[in-house]
Amino acid sequence: MKKNGPNSQNESAGASGKQAAGTGNQAVLTISDNLAVTLENIKRELGSSPDLKIRKFQIGSAKPFWAAAVYMDGMVNTAAVDEFILEALMENPEDAAEEMPREPQDRLGLVLARGLELGEIAIRDNWDDMMLSLLSGNTIILLDGCSKAIEGGTKGGAWRTVSEPSSQIVIRGPKDSFVESLITNIALIRRRIKSPKLWVEFMKFGTVTNTDVALLYMKDRADRKVLDQVKFRLSKIDIEAVLESSYIEQLIQDKVFTPFPTVFNTERPDVAAANLLEGRIVLIVDGTPFVLIMPTVLAQFLQSTDDYSLQFDIATLMRLVRYVSLIILLLGPSVFIALTTFHYEMVPTPMLISLLAQRENVPFPAAIEAIIMEAAFEILREAGIRMPRAVGQTVSVVGALILGMAVVEAGIITPVMVIVVALTGIASFAIPSYNLAVAGRIVRFGFMIAASMFGFYGITLGLIVLIAHVNSLQSFGTPYLAPFSPFSVRGQKDTVVRVPMFLVNLRPNKLGHMNDNDKSGKDKGTSDSGKDGQTGA
Amino acid sequence: MRDIRIGPVHFFSLVLMFELGTALVVNVGMEAGRDAWIAIFLGCLVGMLIYTGYNYLFKLYPDLPLSGYARAILGKPLGAVVVTLYAVIFLNGAGRDMRDGSALLVMAALNRTPIMIVAAMMILSCGYVLHKGLEVLARTSFIIMIFVLMIGGVITLLMLFSGEMEWSRILPMLGDGIKPVALSVIRSNYMFPFGEVFCFLMLMPYIGDKKRAVWIVPSAILAAGLIISYTALVNITVLGSDMVERSPFPLLSTVSKAALSDFIQRLDVLVVMLLIIGVFFKVAVYYGAAVIAISDLFNLPYRTLIIPSAIIILFSGMLDSRSFVEHLEEGGEMLTFVYPVFTIVIPAILIIVAAFRNYRSRSRPG
Repeated sequence: MKKNGPNSQNESAGASGKQAAGTGNQAVLTISDNLAVTLENIKRELGSSPDLKIRKFQIGSAKPFWAAAVYMDGMVNTAAVDEFILEALMENPEDAAEEMPREPQDRLGLVLARGLELGEIAIRDNWDDMMLSLLSGNTIILLDGCSKAIEGGTKGGAWRTVSEPSSQIVIRGPKDSFVESLITNIALIRRRIKSPKLWVEFMKFGTVTNTDVALLYMKDRADRKVLDQVKFRLSKIDIEAVLESSYIEQLIQDKVFTPFPTVFNTERPDVAAANLLEGRIVLIVDGTPFVLIMPTVLAQFLQSTDDYSLQFDIATLMRLVRYVSLIILLLGPSVFIALTTFHYEMVPTPMLISLLAQRENVPFPAAIEAIIMEAAFEILREAGIRMPRAVGQTVSVVGALILGMAVVEAGIITPVMVIVVALTGIASFAIPSYNLAVAGRIVRFGFMIAASMFGFYGITLGLIVLIAHVNSLQSFGTPYLAPFSPFSVRGQKDTVVRVPMFLVNLRPNKLGHMNDNDKSGKDKGTSDSGKDGQTGA
Repeated sequence: MRDIRIGPVHFFSLVLMFELGTALVVNVGMEAGRDAWIAIFLGCLVGMLIYTGYNYLFKLYPDLPLSGYARAILGKPLGAVVVTLYAVIFLNGAGRDMRDGSALLVMAALNRTPIMIVAAMMILSCGYVLHKGLEVLARTSFIIMIFVLMIGGVITLLMLFSGEMEWSRILPMLGDGIKPVALSVIRSNYMFPFGEVFCFLMLMPYIGDKKRAVWIVPSAILAAGLIISYTALVNITVLGSDMVERSPFPLLSTVSKAALSDFIQRLDVLVVMLLIIGVFFKVAVYYGAAVIAISDLFNLPYRTLIIPSAIIILFSGMLDSRSFVEHLEEGGEMLTFVYPVFTIVIPAILIIVAAFRNYRSRSRPG
């Protein structure tokens, strides 16, 4: 139906008599054994697109017959098409002459057996499959007298090469990053996990875009229930276009209204590989370097690959810094507002005096000040992201000078507030995951409003509500706060503290199911101790 | 809501947070003077004793909340009346605690905020968390419990280092004999906060691990008793019983005495946070119990009852008395005359009737 749209329009430009026949044919297009008809049908269906290349040639010398190679320009590896298809088919080995089959239908077998010097070959007898294969960058070989098409795997064309990741940068650790090509991405992971247990499943999403998506998991480690859940949700997807993994992410994540990300994404093959080894499931979408990882927990967004390259004590310190940054990001401005407007008795007296002296020239209450400054900071950041690189420097200079200095000198904002806002801003960059930092930035404004109205009362209630909210989240059945709540001692090995490598079992127990985890974990504990008690007695 | 299962640790933390509630911050058991901490401890033992009675009912009906087995034991009509009474007392309890907490907060920190707004914020937050479910409430309580224990540790360390504690202030122990202590226990101490666990009659069936469920609440009561008793002890050693008796928030006065050099001077805000957290969990548990009781009684879905109950709690709590003094007065009377009916009398009747029925049904075939 969808294919009919542009096609029938094209057709209306042609003869009206043919149009009726053409549209009548559309519904039941098949690969005809007449080569000319098939080629005409392909051309017509694609609207004689200029990037459609058809090369007709003859096979055999004694009893030659016509064949054609059809491919989309720019999507194929031209060298492969030239060398392994055209060249291979057109040069006629001497012995092939007498073997030339009598029946047209047998030609297919001969070409398959002798003719093509290509690794990836398939036979297509369905029109839609053939067209999809053609549009995916394969070369279709049609033989006169054959109602089947041969698909030669010649996918190629220009892709960005593997380069350093632009986000999630590490000091020490692998420097490669995923690219837009699905196959390359899978290879990047396979190169790291050379195990037959790494299973890959292909599927297609997007009724129009037909985007390839690969589901990767370790057969022996992935949680069966999670895997089924992921597959179930994927099967429910009904979408026209998939241009980025976030399209899929938004359709399969747990349906709760929350700013917090419940699906992890990464650009780094080593992170994806590590997660596969921990029993998670990786989803790679063709056309984007960002792969999805499920299920995830909050603590994962505060981990960086660096942690595993560094010594455990240093890594633990870095983790702590990140957790503190998250707290500063969430609560920094709001605690400052609460202190200076509601609870100034908590501030040491000399500092309070200096604070009040600064306040003297400033007409706004602390809350307004903070919101102005934070909003300005958000604008700066937004501008900084989209600035051409050459201008980026200007933004930071303008931001630092104008907003930092001038705003204080003009008596709009107190210097301390500038410090607080700057600290919050830096803290937001200390969080390794952009998704979580964005969530924190949004929640921060909520806390600021609560603090400006109710001081620490607002902050405390806000914290309780926030903890409850995060507690209620799940990612594919895994509680979002997993190793903290439900609390598991084994899970603590790799959350705030990263224990030394010799104590790390690569799979911390944070993937249990919400209902089971708590009980089964605890039950195991008691039954073990019970056994111990019995044996002791 | 049938499929809720709360882990034992989370249930423990929920009970602990409920018990600590406001009791940590306000004056408890001060009728006993400098022996208040003994009175509190005795009160806690009484609370545990009461709970063993509840456990009997729990063992008979491990899958039913109070609202379920009250009707099973007393028969439909009478049971329904009892459950209605419980629903009312739960709503009332939530309202009272909310009023208490808001008034204390307005006194301690938010002098210029209208109390109605403070209370509304509280009940909104509780409503949100309950909307997310009891399990979320329990799991939240666990994280908050760790936070509270950390605050407790900080305060303890500060008190030790600041050298304000004077152990002679608790001497002589039981100097006036056992009588004032016993009186304090009997009048209100066993009831506030330990008797209030009757809310958990509604929540017991949601414990995931039925075998250990019997021990969770009593151990939480004991832990709470020890902590509150310890707090009272610290208050008395720092302030002296005389000042503690006259102070509305002794812990606030105690903590404000702590100072480390010039930098850490006033950590009152930590106490205010404890108060907020405590009030939150008290209100939330009463509120949750009420919602479960009503939904069970009228067979209505749990979530739809959250907003109506919030409105009832907010207004009944705010309008039950003209002033805070009257509210406290009322509260004292409630503690002495009304709450025991629900904590002791009705459960006792239930136990007796259930035991009798049990006995009869068992003896009949034999």
